[in-house]
Amino acid sequence: MTPMEALPVPAAPDPLPPPVSPAAVAWRRLRGHRMALASLVLLALYALLCLGAPLLPLHPYAEQVLAHENLPPSFQPAGITLLATREAELRQLLAAEQRPASPRERTQLAGLARAVASDPVHRRIYLLGTDALGRDLLSRLLYGGRISILIGLLGTVTAMLLGVALGSIAGYAGGLLDTVIMRGVDILFGLPYLLVVIILMALFGRSVFNLFFAVALLSWLTLCRVVRGQVIGLRHAEFVTAARAMGASPARIVFRHLTPNTLGVIVVFATLMVPEFIMAESFLSFLGLGVSAPLASWGSLVADGAAVMELYPWQLLGPAVAMTGFLFAMNFLGDGLRDALDPQSRRGGVHGR
Amino acid sequence: MAAEPAGHLESLEPLASGAPLLRVQDLRVRFATGDGLVQAVAGVDLRLARGETLGLVGESGSGKSVLSLALLGLVPQGQVTGQIWFRGEELLAMSPARLRRLRGDRIAMIFQDPMTALNPYLRIGTQITEVLRLHQGLGRRAARERAIELLRDAGIAAPERRIDQYPHQFSGGMRQRALIAQGLACGPELLIADEPTSALDVTIQAQILDLIRLRTRSLGTAVILITHDLGVVAGACDTLAVMYAGRIVERGPTGPVFQAPRHPYTQGLIRSVPRLDRPGAERLVAIPGQPPSGIGLPPCCPFHPRCAQVLPICRQALPPEVDLGGGHGVACWLYPEPR
Repeated sequence: MTPMEALPVPAAPDPLPPPVSPAAVAWRRLRGHRMALASLVLLALYALLCLGAPLLPLHPYAEQVLAHENLPPSFQPAGITLLATREAELRQLLAAEQRPASPRERTQLAGLARAVASDPVHRRIYLLGTDALGRDLLSRLLYGGRISILIGLLGTVTAMLLGVALGSIAGYAGGLLDTVIMRGVDILFGLPYLLVVIILMALFGRSVFNLFFAVALLSWLTLCRVVRGQVIGLRHAEFVTAARAMGASPARIVFRHLTPNTLGVIVVFATLMVPEFIMAESFLSFLGLGVSAPLASWGSLVADGAAVMELYPWQLLGPAVAMTGFLFAMNFLGDGLRDALDPQSRRGGVHGR
Repeated sequence: MAAEPAGHLESLEPLASGAPLLRVQDLRVRFATGDGLVQAVAGVDLRLARGETLGLVGESGSGKSVLSLALLGLVPQGQVTGQIWFRGEELLAMSPARLRRLRGDRIAMIFQDPMTALNPYLRIGTQITEVLRLHQGLGRRAARERAIELLRDAGIAAPERRIDQYPHQFSGGMRQRALIAQGLACGPELLIADEPTSALDVTIQAQILDLIRLRTRSLGTAVILITHDLGVVAGACDTLAVMYAGRIVERGPTGPVFQAPRHPYTQGLIRSVPRLDRPGAERLVAIPGQPPSGIGLPPCCPFHPRCAQVLPICRQALPPEVDLGGGHGVACWLYPEPR
């Protein structure tokens, strides 16, 4: 035994690692997920631009400059684009009719050139062009993003509050309470959504608030079902029995012990729900049930742009690309979160690179 | 009845006050399953004095875990009949709120698998202070101080830093220590330990058992130690009860029962334990057959299909429990009631 005694005793243990919460573990995993991380950056950019829209040097999103209708995107001042567009139009017309420009057309063009030179409004730059009323599309895109993202978040927050609370209660309580809550969910699910929204709009008028309400009304149903399922799965977990053996009340068990354990699923679900609500809002806006002018949302911008996409494709392209980018980023983030929060799914994510 | 503990270094305090801490009478737990009614606990009588350590032994499915949950009023969706008196109070007739006051405070439980018995999303400290704040009304800071103390008593090094960690940062043994700290936080009068060591490394098992014994001894806590390991019982328990198919088939002070087991099932259990003190003297003997499922038990000795000494009457009637003296009781037809 002497050689053993001669060995240094591994007495002093390593310094204790700091507390690592499950959330911190998930975050570390998420950081290894490139697409999710890129999405996160993109989303941060969106948030910054949309939230900071009032601080940016944008033209007011509702201001109409009728002279600037349907201008294409350009880095040049609006006047120059306007002049070039008019000249090109005229030349096209003259070539078609095979005649020289009339004196009236000449003076019109010269007058426009003078106005462009003198009026400061023509020095505006429209990076994304303008719409049919001469409103700045970039400005409308960012302000529209505010409303779209807000609706997405609001629907999600309502879903989280209502869906998680009711789902947890139904799942844990079981029995009559479960039946009542879940049949209620079934009934709401069964309602024809569009009809409900149309009736709501007809009854209370079209406003952003009513749109929020319409989206929030049914937003929590799916999450309620999902959380209920999770809670039923966890209800007989040993730590729940342990909490009961400790004398914890049902409310305490549900909201302190069970809900945090379903948080992973909830977070993933929430990220995937935001796009869903934005889509719902777009759909309503597309049908003319959404926000009303001069307010804009991505949906209403896409709807307006789609109407004229053959003549002025940029009016559709801008909002469509912005919205698609956002939805993509949300979905990739959701995927990344699912990988990060579920230790079982390693494929494609952190380790499968 | 003087329970003479065997294998203990310290002597127990005399069981003075007449009223037992826990008295269970004809406890039955039934579950409705797809295959029929399952009698998980089929009429158990039990007495536990203050500070006594009872070993509850049996195979998987013998109903020992269900029994322990029933003692806490925690049987999920089962029909529980019979009586449980805890400190003279009828547990089964208690209001849920009153029961919650007892749980964690006067009766605590330690679970088998420390990996799953701790909430993975809460800090260790939170899970211990929760009990303290719930039952002792301690403030945040006081509860934290106390929890650190408890963790230290449970043999966790650097508790003031460990307390903020999460369960996944603890080893199995440490988690069980944390659970012991949690269970004993309020100084309960009864601790139910459901196989507290069977999910742990052998090297840790003895430490955990010592810890439970030490801490409950100093708190005067009575313990029901549920196990399938007879070695654990021999080392840690004053009395022992052997369960089979939801019934207690033999009970008594640990020493006498080990020296002279009466029930063929107990004899089989003891023969199936490897012993180092009798090298090569005996082979290990397995008990043939499977324990019954508890569905539709016939009114006969449930052990008779596996019993080597089966009598005709074993197939016809349930043996009553016979007192062999000295607290040693057995339910077997081999020992007819003395007239």
